[in-house]
Amino acid sequence: MSRRGVQAQVNLFPRLPSFGPFREGFWRSPLRGPWLASMLSSALLPLIAICAITGFVSHWAYDTDLGGNSIFGGAAPGNGFDLYGFDWPVSPSWLYAFTQGLHMISGVAAIPILLAKLWAVIPKLFENPPVLSVSHALERLSLIFLVGGSLFVFATGIINIQLWYPFGFSFVPAHYYGAVLMLGALVFHIGLKLPVMRDAFRRRGVAAPLREDLEHTRPEPDLPNVVTSAPHTPSAPTLTRRAMLGGVGVASAGLAVMTAGQVVGGPLADLAVLAPRGRGRGNGPNDFPVNKTFNAVGIAPEKVGADWRLLITASDESRTELTREELLDMDLVSAKLPIACVEGWSTTQTWTGVRLADLARLVGAENPDQVEVRSLQESGSLSSVTLNRGQVSHPEAMLALRVNGADLSLDHGFPARIMVPALPGVHCTKWVGELVFA
Amino acid sequence: MARFRTAYGAGPLHLLAVLASFAVVAYALSRALQLTANPDRILLWLGGSIVAHDLILFPLYALMGAIAAGLLLRRGKGSRLRIAVLNHLRFPVLMSGLLLVVWYPLVAGPAERGFMRTTGLSKDVYFGRWLLLTAALFLGSALIFALRYRRLAREGPPDEAALDPA
Repeated sequence: MSRRGVQAQVNLFPRLPSFGPFREGFWRSPLRGPWLASMLSSALLPLIAICAITGFVSHWAYDTDLGGNSIFGGAAPGNGFDLYGFDWPVSPSWLYAFTQGLHMISGVAAIPILLAKLWAVIPKLFENPPVLSVSHALERLSLIFLVGGSLFVFATGIINIQLWYPFGFSFVPAHYYGAVLMLGALVFHIGLKLPVMRDAFRRRGVAAPLREDLEHTRPEPDLPNVVTSAPHTPSAPTLTRRAMLGGVGVASAGLAVMTAGQVVGGPLADLAVLAPRGRGRGNGPNDFPVNKTFNAVGIAPEKVGADWRLLITASDESRTELTREELLDMDLVSAKLPIACVEGWSTTQTWTGVRLADLARLVGAENPDQVEVRSLQESGSLSSVTLNRGQVSHPEAMLALRVNGADLSLDHGFPARIMVPALPGVHCTKWVGELVFA
Repeated sequence: MARFRTAYGAGPLHLLAVLASFAVVAYALSRALQLTANPDRILLWLGGSIVAHDLILFPLYALMGAIAAGLLLRRGKGSRLRIAVLNHLRFPVLMSGLLLVVWYPLVAGPAERGFMRTTGLSKDVYFGRWLLLTAALFLGSALIFALRYRRLAREGPPDEAALDPA
């Protein structure tokens, strides 16, 4: 570049006055630099990838092209990315518990690493001069989307699983498209930073800085042609990089274990001390976690009393009504199936009930394509759910009447609820009033 | 091409990539805004999350750290022992703070009634559990410090060059 070119650039993109965090010597931690940022990114990236993939898988699991299954906007392009024609499978029965558990564990475990990564690169927020070129300005604009998008997605997710809804907007589409926004900025960021990461690892070695003790903990050297987060006037180190990353790793693993406790259950459940659904409710047959209690959904108690009838209809208008006793007199099936909540907890119990396929036959529907399940619950986004062909015909897909040898409790859906292998928990409709086979 | 590089500051591929990225961002944002009630609240939360982290959470813990380090390691007299004390405080404080930030709605949040109605469980155990975890973190850190104490006291200050590179 000619001297005049340099001159023009300086005038176009001036320095800010050196004050506060914009001052060159303000940021002093000797640990910051491209190696540290790269190391944290290498840990963060796989977690974000798992979290994103399982998130999109969860959207698929809802079979949003069927009936009223779509949480937002109906079954149309632009309301999530759909795999039209690919029904969510019924096997293995723990499939949704697994993918959604992974979503939660990877997401929660990523939080400390994300915070550490932001700590590592925060001096670059106060880069001075703030803009070096048009391309640099666009990169920095993109970082606003990346940082804002990530914080938005992680914050809404973690708040939502704790059943607090301070958003004022609907969680599902905001979390979903917030993630798309984050990924749009992230892919560009990765493309931009891969060479920097490669350089940092090549110069410093991937693992070599982890072996340094406090005496040998030195600031990172600058990389050519890039503005890095390495300090201009570093202070004396008080922590090795090994200890810092170890602390982040412990935090991440600790949060992962807590979250895993409410996914896996069993002995691990005791470790879910701060997870919202990790708590036992007692030792009775119905004492396992409830997504929504009977009281919370506002069904009038007389609707689930002795007068309750299950209404079954088929597309040719044939219909029948059954009492709970008549249902219990039919051929019953028992199966160990999980309720796997979209909020990441699951619980596996032994359910007993009537096969959906047998109920379909009562109204002359052999091999139905789908069934619409209507709950007595009058409001709520999924008070009516449609199950796909594989879900209706599976031999363990049932209208459950009993659990662990006892009648269902009101909280678990008395008089009858849907239980289908691998079905997302929120589709396992409780307080069923009507089945419509088609 | 050279003129493009001079004017733009990078190659044309960079411009293509950044525009593609912005297109995805704009699409996602427009879908989010169309699909939810109160779209202005989404913008508020997007911008607010940056402010909450960069201008509140980060300065808060960085300042706490700087004050602690200033008190313990005054005028560069950072003996190994004092540095260890600092770190054995840093670890439990940061862990406890992280747990509070992550599980804030359960530990200290205001959603008591909704939580109970929905899950049938009371929420008031969580604050106590967080306090217990915090106590355990400090205790564990103190125990490990006690185990290291002898060795740390025996070793002198780390070499001057490492402590004060200026």
